[in-house]
Amino acid sequence: MLALRRPLLFAFLFGCAVSLFTSGRLTLRLAGPATLYWSFVPLIEIAALAVVCRGKLRSLSLAHAIDLFFAGFAPWLLWLTGLAAIWSWLRPVEAFAWTKPFWLWIAAPAVLAWSCYIDLRFFRSTLESHPGRALLGHRAISWPACLLWFMASSIWPQVASRLGL
Amino acid sequence: MAGGCLLAIAIAAGTWSDAPRPHPPLMLGPYRVLAADFHVHTFPFSGSTLWPWDLVLEARRQGLDAIAITGHDQVLAGQMGRWFSRLVGGPTVLAGEEIHSPGYHLIALGIESTVSWRLKAAAAMDEVHRQGGVAIAAHPLAQFWPAFDAEAMRKLDGAEIVQPIVYSAGNARREFEEFFARRRFTAIGSSDYHGLGPVGLCRTYVFVREASEPGILQALREGHTVVYDGVGAVYGDPALIQLAGSESRLRGSEPSRPEGGFLVPMSRTCGLLGMIGLSLCGFRLRPTA
Repeated sequence: MLALRRPLLFAFLFGCAVSLFTSGRLTLRLAGPATLYWSFVPLIEIAALAVVCRGKLRSLSLAHAIDLFFAGFAPWLLWLTGLAAIWSWLRPVEAFAWTKPFWLWIAAPAVLAWSCYIDLRFFRSTLESHPGRALLGHRAISWPACLLWFMASSIWPQVASRLGL
Repeated sequence: MAGGCLLAIAIAAGTWSDAPRPHPPLMLGPYRVLAADFHVHTFPFSGSTLWPWDLVLEARRQGLDAIAITGHDQVLAGQMGRWFSRLVGGPTVLAGEEIHSPGYHLIALGIESTVSWRLKAAAAMDEVHRQGGVAIAAHPLAQFWPAFDAEAMRKLDGAEIVQPIVYSAGNARREFEEFFARRRFTAIGSSDYHGLGPVGLCRTYVFVREASEPGILQALREGHTVVYDGVGAVYGDPALIQLAGSESRLRGSEPSRPEGGFLVPMSRTCGLLGMIGLSLCGFRLRPTA
């Protein structure tokens, strides 16, 4: 249960954000299914964590490590809540004008840097060695996997044409 | 605890107020007027947030009569959405594809098998027409114009003239209008729904003689559409624009504020406060000690 409580809560809050983005309210019709199918994000994060922590954890179980790792997701959740606030309170015309310049290009990189710092400190305190390598490894596994599941068919033509495939 | 309670209140209020908006059929002259969104994406693989069946239900709530689910380089999402919508008596769903070539983006409506993004624009349009579909230029920004050579322009059925990108990219509106002025296309407004904002934003009003998938495709081939940009401009068939002018329901392409009275802002406020509460109490902003 320790390994699941925060990942499940994260997925649920993600589902809530999806409902607010689309309908401007929190409805079970959207939040429930979105929680289920957006749980691929915590699942991939857990899988990547298990890979980078394998055999290197310092006197704590993997379940405990998962719980501690997900504890550091507050910056992303607050960012998501901010985005949900924009999309649920502003008119779509205003929300489009607001989202791209500020929320995506300024706030998102700031949150990215902040979460990297939190995760680096997590790996430093829980792993016996190479916390920086673990952070890079975790990102290298989890982010492309999430991106592929989210938008594989959008990415492939760009990649294939650049590689001449 | 307080965050959880707020979320519970938000979900109760939001779910209680979550009814489809009233949408009686509209007849103008000999036509039935359908509200349609011909460019929406689903989860997974196409960069959106909702599964096809959730999208169908959301389109119905937004008062849309028709949508086209246009997966990036795949038609499976559209076929799933169409199957589900027939099952629940939802809006007409056209299976489609956004052909996502590096040089151009093309909406293929009413097709059954994937059209390759490797084809040149004109060849892709030939394949769309061979399958009985309609080809529409998706967000025709200047960067895509080189792919639309004379042959492609001759074969193109329609072009998006209003799209949410006009609200966020400075020169998009001017570029869409320049592209649209090159030939008389069917005017299309689409939400290009990727998860943010309502489905049906920038919708197309299609004037059909028969409210069915073939009827919609035929109306698109004949250019029987009207699109409002939400800030005063209107595009489409001049005679139909005049006909539509008599109907106040059609003006303003933006879906109106959600109905449901005080329950909607209550759901929104409690939901956001609950999310902040649970993010701060259940998670940490500072590194783990």
